[in-house]
Amino acid sequence: MRGASRGGVAGTLLALLLALSVRSGGASKASAGLVTCGSVLKLLNTHHKVRLHSHDIKYGSGSGQQSVTGVEASDDANSYWRIRGGSEGGCPRGLPVRCGQAEVSAFGEDGEGDDLDLWTVRCSGQHWEREASVRFQHVGTSVFLSVTGEQYGNPIRGQHEVHGMSSANAHNTWKAMEGIFIKPGADLSMGHDEL
Amino acid sequence: MAPQNLSTFCLLLLYLIGAVMAGRDFYKILGVPRSASIKDIKKAYRKLALQLHPDRNPDDPQAQEKFQDLGAAYEVLSDSEKRKQYDTYGEEGLKDGHQSSHGDIFSHFFGDFGFMFGGTPRQQDRNIPRGSDIIVDLEVTLEEVYAGNFVEVVRNKPVARQAPGKRKCNCRQEMRTTQLGPGRFQMTQEVVCDECPNVKLVNEERTLEVEIEPGVRDGMEYPFIGEGEPHVDGEPGDLRFRIKVVKHRIFERRGDDLYTNVTVSLVEALVGFEMDITHLDGHKGLCSDLLTKGLCSELLNTFIGAEYLSERTQMPNAYCARRLWSPYSSCQNKELRERQSPLTPTRACNRHQGHTEEQPIVEGLPLGKRERKISVIFLGSHTTNSMNHGVPAARLISSNDKDSSSDGGSDNVP
Repeated sequence: MRGASRGGVAGTLLALLLALSVRSGGASKASAGLVTCGSVLKLLNTHHKVRLHSHDIKYGSGSGQQSVTGVEASDDANSYWRIRGGSEGGCPRGLPVRCGQAEVSAFGEDGEGDDLDLWTVRCSGQHWEREASVRFQHVGTSVFLSVTGEQYGNPIRGQHEVHGMSSANAHNTWKAMEGIFIKPGADLSMGHDEL
Repeated sequence: MAPQNLSTFCLLLLYLIGAVMAGRDFYKILGVPRSASIKDIKKAYRKLALQLHPDRNPDDPQAQEKFQDLGAAYEVLSDSEKRKQYDTYGEEGLKDGHQSSHGDIFSHFFGDFGFMFGGTPRQQDRNIPRGSDIIVDLEVTLEEVYAGNFVEVVRNKPVARQAPGKRKCNCRQEMRTTQLGPGRFQMTQEVVCDECPNVKLVNEERTLEVEIEPGVRDGMEYPFIGEGEPHVDGEPGDLRFRIKVVKHRIFERRGDDLYTNVTVSLVEALVGFEMDITHLDGHKGLCSDLLTKGLCSELLNTFIGAEYLSERTQMPNAYCARRLWSPYSSCQNKELRERQSPLTPTRACNRHQGHTEEQPIVEGLPLGKRERKISVIFLGSHTTNSMNHGVPAARLISSNDKDSSSDGGSDNVP
């Protein structure tokens, strides 16, 4: 991306070459380091070094939804997020998440969200690799999940503000950290459709 | 005499060495056949590890050795390369010695036991702070519930490790009294901490094996001790996998029975039919209508896996039953009544007595509709006592019953 903005044929060619090699490499890579459906993980914002976090809090006299922030601690159980597909159920356990696939974070009542909770994983390559930096784009509004750099005061002092940003930049890259990762299932029995 | 003793001794020594060198029979230790699948091996290890753990057998002097044999057996047989070598050359043919600690293999299946188990409850000492528990919903298919399976999971978690220096711990508020002058005191609140060895949180990874036991129910939890969130001043919490059975397209589980719906035409419903039904493990079974044949022409496996089955009953049985829907009241239609097999109970007749001859007895279906839905019920094996061996009784579901079966048809067995 930097190469393209600076202009120059060499820069663009290099970027293209890199993108191509990553794509082809991704196809043949061992599947051990992939994020799969059903996995539970923590997301670290690579720029601000905080983890995506959620807890019950009321915004003043607000709607009483869950508050989503960024925290610096690595051992908070409220920072775990679950990978689920959209309502069409195309995300069976153990299936590696494809770049561009929509996944639902654990919003909503008891984990059941609605269509406004769908986020698409934006990453380079075929599948979401655990070591890779990815972005999350909201399906409804096209904003990217970002950390602003502002921090809250009481009662959640020290926690960072998380919001949606319209452009892709360093504030909205995330990486999978701690978690429970289901290994890609080779022999997932899909059953049969008819008697 | 001396040389004779010496030679016997040498022979004995050689024999002993030979016996030891011949190596252990890993298949026998795990109790699996040589053709066992990786799933069978994992299942066998998990079952035996709980039984043979030294903490569970404090009175057995050989417990440690047995447990180590078990670990070695699993380590070799679960690795396809090592298993191949072992199958060809035996234990001494293995290239590198199996050095991995057997506690490590145990923790793949049960988590990080840092303490003795088997009787002592976890939360006994409430003064030790504990990290949070994590509950993960694990989706499983009905096929996996039928046959069992293992899910491999990578757990990446922060672990408290020693670091140089000291840190503040057990911080608490205390009241401190200072004297400002004669007779004048001031009380202030102060934060007082202890000093503890410094720890830092390091991310570590390990593979966990989650077993989906055959017949497992929705909502059951499988805990992995110590695999939850860490606590710098105490113990880590647990990781629990909660089973969530995904709705199946064809079969529905009720209790230990499998239900499915079969659509047939009106002619078939009256005259009888045969059809192939593919079971959860892929094998096909034939089901015939009772009106013509009276019983199922092939025995189908019951729902729970074979192992569970043998604990519950002597003889696996399956039944095909159908709802007695007929466009004519079978009591008033003399011909139809005579055609019925003796296995049809008269109970169904009594229910429909209120209808006249012209009125078809159809539940919610418009007249003239060609198709009927028939519930085919594969029953579990809980009726063995009331039945003559070899002649399964038919269990008919009256169309008014919402769920489960009418009480027995055993009195109708000829």
